[in-house]
Amino acid sequence: MTLTRRSFLATGAAASAAIGTPMILRAQPSEYVFGSSLPMTGPFATAGQLVAPALKMFEDLANEDGGIGGVPIRTTAEDSGYIPQNALANYQRALATEPNLVYYYGDSTGFMKLVAPELRGENARLMGSTSFASELAKPEENPYQYLAGPSYEDQFDILLESIANQGGSTVAFIYSNTEFGRDPLESGRAKAEELGIEVVLEESTKAQGADIPTHVTKLAQSNAEYCILQGYVTGVWPQLIGGARQFGLPTKFMGTFWGMEKLIADRVTAEAGPFLDGYLGVMPYRYSYDNDNAPRYARYAEYQKKNFAGTPLENYMPTWGLQSLCAMELGLMALRQVHEEGKELTADNAAEALASIQNWESGGFFGVPVSMQGNKIGTGRVYQYSAETNLFTPASDWFTV
Amino acid sequence: MGQFLQFAINGLMSGAIYALIAVGIVSVFKATKVVNFAHGYVIMVGAYFYYTFAVLIPGAEWAPAWLASWQPGWLMEMREGLPMFSPMGAVLDWVQNLPRILFGLAGAVLANAALGLLIERTLMRPLMGQSVFAMIMITVGLISILAGAAQLVWTADADFVPHIAPNAPVRFEMFGTTIFLFGADIVNMIVALLIFGAIVAMVRFTKSGVAIRATAEDQSTAYSMGISVPKVFSRAWMLAAATGAIAGAILATRNGISPSLGLFGFSVLAIVLMGGLDSYVGVFIAALAVGVLEAMTQWQLGGDWAEIVPYVAVLVVILIRPHGLFGQKEVERI
Amino acid sequence: MITGNLKASYAADERVFDNRNKWAFFAASLAVLAGMAGFANDYVILVACQMGILLIAVVGVNVVTGYTGLISLGHAAFVAVGAYTVAIFHAGFAGVIPDGLMALIAIPVAVAVSALVGIIVGLPSLRVKGLYLAVATLSANFIVIFLIEQEAFAHWTGGMVGINTPAPDFFGWELDTKREMFVLIAALGVLTLLAVQNLFRTRVGRAFIAIRDRDYSAEIMGISLLRYKLTSFAISAALCGLSGALFAYFYARILPEQFELALSLELVAAMIVGGMGRTMGPVFGVIVIVMVPEVIKSLFGVATGGEASMAQLLAPLQDIAFGLLIVLFLLFEPLGLNHMADRALRAMNRWPFAR
Repeated sequence: MTLTRRSFLATGAAASAAIGTPMILRAQPSEYVFGSSLPMTGPFATAGQLVAPALKMFEDLANEDGGIGGVPIRTTAEDSGYIPQNALANYQRALATEPNLVYYYGDSTGFMKLVAPELRGENARLMGSTSFASELAKPEENPYQYLAGPSYEDQFDILLESIANQGGSTVAFIYSNTEFGRDPLESGRAKAEELGIEVVLEESTKAQGADIPTHVTKLAQSNAEYCILQGYVTGVWPQLIGGARQFGLPTKFMGTFWGMEKLIADRVTAEAGPFLDGYLGVMPYRYSYDNDNAPRYARYAEYQKKNFAGTPLENYMPTWGLQSLCAMELGLMALRQVHEEGKELTADNAAEALASIQNWESGGFFGVPVSMQGNKIGTGRVYQYSAETNLFTPASDWFTV
Repeated sequence: MGQFLQFAINGLMSGAIYALIAVGIVSVFKATKVVNFAHGYVIMVGAYFYYTFAVLIPGAEWAPAWLASWQPGWLMEMREGLPMFSPMGAVLDWVQNLPRILFGLAGAVLANAALGLLIERTLMRPLMGQSVFAMIMITVGLISILAGAAQLVWTADADFVPHIAPNAPVRFEMFGTTIFLFGADIVNMIVALLIFGAIVAMVRFTKSGVAIRATAEDQSTAYSMGISVPKVFSRAWMLAAATGAIAGAILATRNGISPSLGLFGFSVLAIVLMGGLDSYVGVFIAALAVGVLEAMTQWQLGGDWAEIVPYVAVLVVILIRPHGLFGQKEVERI
Repeated sequence: MITGNLKASYAADERVFDNRNKWAFFAASLAVLAGMAGFANDYVILVACQMGILLIAVVGVNVVTGYTGLISLGHAAFVAVGAYTVAIFHAGFAGVIPDGLMALIAIPVAVAVSALVGIIVGLPSLRVKGLYLAVATLSANFIVIFLIEQEAFAHWTGGMVGINTPAPDFFGWELDTKREMFVLIAALGVLTLLAVQNLFRTRVGRAFIAIRDRDYSAEIMGISLLRYKLTSFAISAALCGLSGALFAYFYARILPEQFELALSLELVAAMIVGGMGRTMGPVFGVIVIVMVPEVIKSLFGVATGGEASMAQLLAPLQDIAFGLLIVLFLLFEPLGLNHMADRALRAMNRWPFAR
């Protein structure tokens, strides 16, 4: 993958166009736009504000490599406040005002579901998102949307299986009262039944400002050995775990992707004590400090040191940023492939190219080569948090579901 | 039965906090006849002030070390060899945090009182004597202004604040079930009840309390009797904002700090109308009743049902008693 | 120069357009709308559609709050009812009713269901008014959204995750582009404004205004409060239902959280900014409420040069602007933009004799 090869291919394409094969129908635009909606305000503001600079990094690094066939890319980031309707308005505005929009990055389960039926014909773009909702990995219904990791259902399955392996027999599901929180419940119930684990409590909470004492009381009374938390980012889950620890509950807590951020875990540890010690969860990616044999991570780290000095991103890339970067690298790869094949950068071509990605050496994100299957990458592993070292360390091997 | 008791107590504890929030709405209404739809957001700003003075400032480099974490020798000695999560450990943690908690509370109360004064001067005073609709809608507009300003200043980050009391667990047996309570919650409840009681006593017995009541009765008569009505107005707003700051701090310790704290204002508004706008007793009863009802709903039906309890309750009460449980019937001239 | 309207008969007094300038304005507006449908770019069409949908709902709020004086902070609930009725109706009668007729039946059904819900929500207005009514309607808004989100009804409503909505189809003409939807929305928007203008020269409309000005006096004069308050709620809910139906057709999917308190407040804010109890008020108000965030956004984009780290400041600024609009209009121009426009027109008309 070098510049020369790409420029060689581009020359080839130009040459074939010159001899009359109508390979590139549209004139080459001056840039390609990667639009995005991020929750820079609202309940998930912390995440959105850290992802925005990561997109800038993605843009710079992609352009160092020649963009898409020599045409530079440009990323845009707009705030959605984690309100699906705002994100939809952002997308529609981008469609109407950016003629070269080739890719869009959405920011919530709600938005992705809201926009899915709009993605038809002229209005369709390849679309990644911060969400791992199962419904988004259905190529037959939503060919243009994909997950850069396993779905929440997969993550639940993984956690439930690891509970079964440890000989656990009861589990509680605590989830935020949002699409994000509810997404994997049904399949989780079924999986638990299949594994012979009893779901002793299903508790819905507010996404922010939940009534912690009451929820903890219910958890205490349910006597669950394990508790899976779903649908939280910065709030609620740390307080729940803190409350349960103060009560002296022996319950083991587990989380999915969005509840696995080191920054939040560290903040809890600093502010409230070592409550999160032993906390387990699924993470599709390697943490950014785990950078042996990871050329891509090394490149990111170099860029971060230079450009993000003095910010939390100087020496660490949050998992939220990694997810966005991974999703956008996949999108970029698909679009480059479309370009190399000399086809137009339509959503259909891009989706087709994306689906053909097999055995991708991600150079950091995943510990093993991964493949797009059914518009998702079902690979991940279980990590455990240690309050002493402030690190999430692997508690299982890589596995692909 | 034990379970019932557990949730009843939980309900009473959150009810007491509702009462503390409600007291702000009632005080402002009594003095100025304005129902503050934005009170929840005043509280949210109060919570962020607490966060500023208890977390951000002590965490700053120029702040003295004892403010962030007070570590006298005897405290360090006592800490030695204590197991994690022991009740004693919780108390010691609290002692360590005490300077910044007190600093935070004092800062939040003062800053929020100043905010109350500012709102009263700039928005409310020009509206004296305007229609109910204009007053309500001004406070509705205030909601957006406060929410936006808080996001601008504090970037809407969800964060953690120190508990205002040692958060040791309390556990006891009753009717064969173990009842769990959080130490901090019990203290919060006591604080809320004390403040509520103090304000009711103040309105009853002190001179400025009498002025508030006189203004509530009839503004122009009060004016002609030598009471400075504008002063009563600004005092009521400052009082509401100051109690709001404490309520905000408590809510933030319970639920984590976030802009969504403002939403509590709407359910408390429903509670206030249920109790009857100008009656402290009625509002107190309504607050506890809704707190308990919410906890029971949470227990039996789950968290999402609990969210609409105050709204259903207020609709039922208003339909049966249009002026709330203990509200005064308005007399209208035609 | 027009110095007044000569009205030689009662019929003339009751006309919808009482002078030729209004006719001219009406004709010009139609021409502009037709021109937009033909030539405006996609972005303009998108914003105009959003405005049109909002406009119809604001006209509805104006009927109940501006003309009848009943404060409502829960009208988003009726928009929700309209939108969900359309979605459910399409799903429920798919195959029974031919596609080409579906929208023609679904829209009136949505309007009727919303009106019915409006009457139920309006019931407290017979017992309480002012502030109490505001809280009662606000509560109703929370409860309606809660019911839509319930898992028990998820089979019909889709629950929290929302439900896909069809594109309308009139005798085989499927309105599957925004531009085609714009034609429908603009037509219904104009019709709504005309209908409401017409309403307030009838007995019913005058009864509403009498109730607003003093409900007890109105009752003494023989106006049945029960009947007219509920009629007012029904009409305004029906208009919100129509707006909801268009909302459902315009977007490909609807979520319950789109109809929460924020929308109710936006409707009321648009009414205040535009001018309460005036026909053109909602038009001015909606234009301002939709355009101000857009203008702030583009100014902000120019000022910060598209810097991503600054984007987080935009939404708070928009929030503050929204709040300030409400507050400043109530403090300095409680009669709204419509009144400002009136004054400007009058000054032009009578220049140099009046300012």
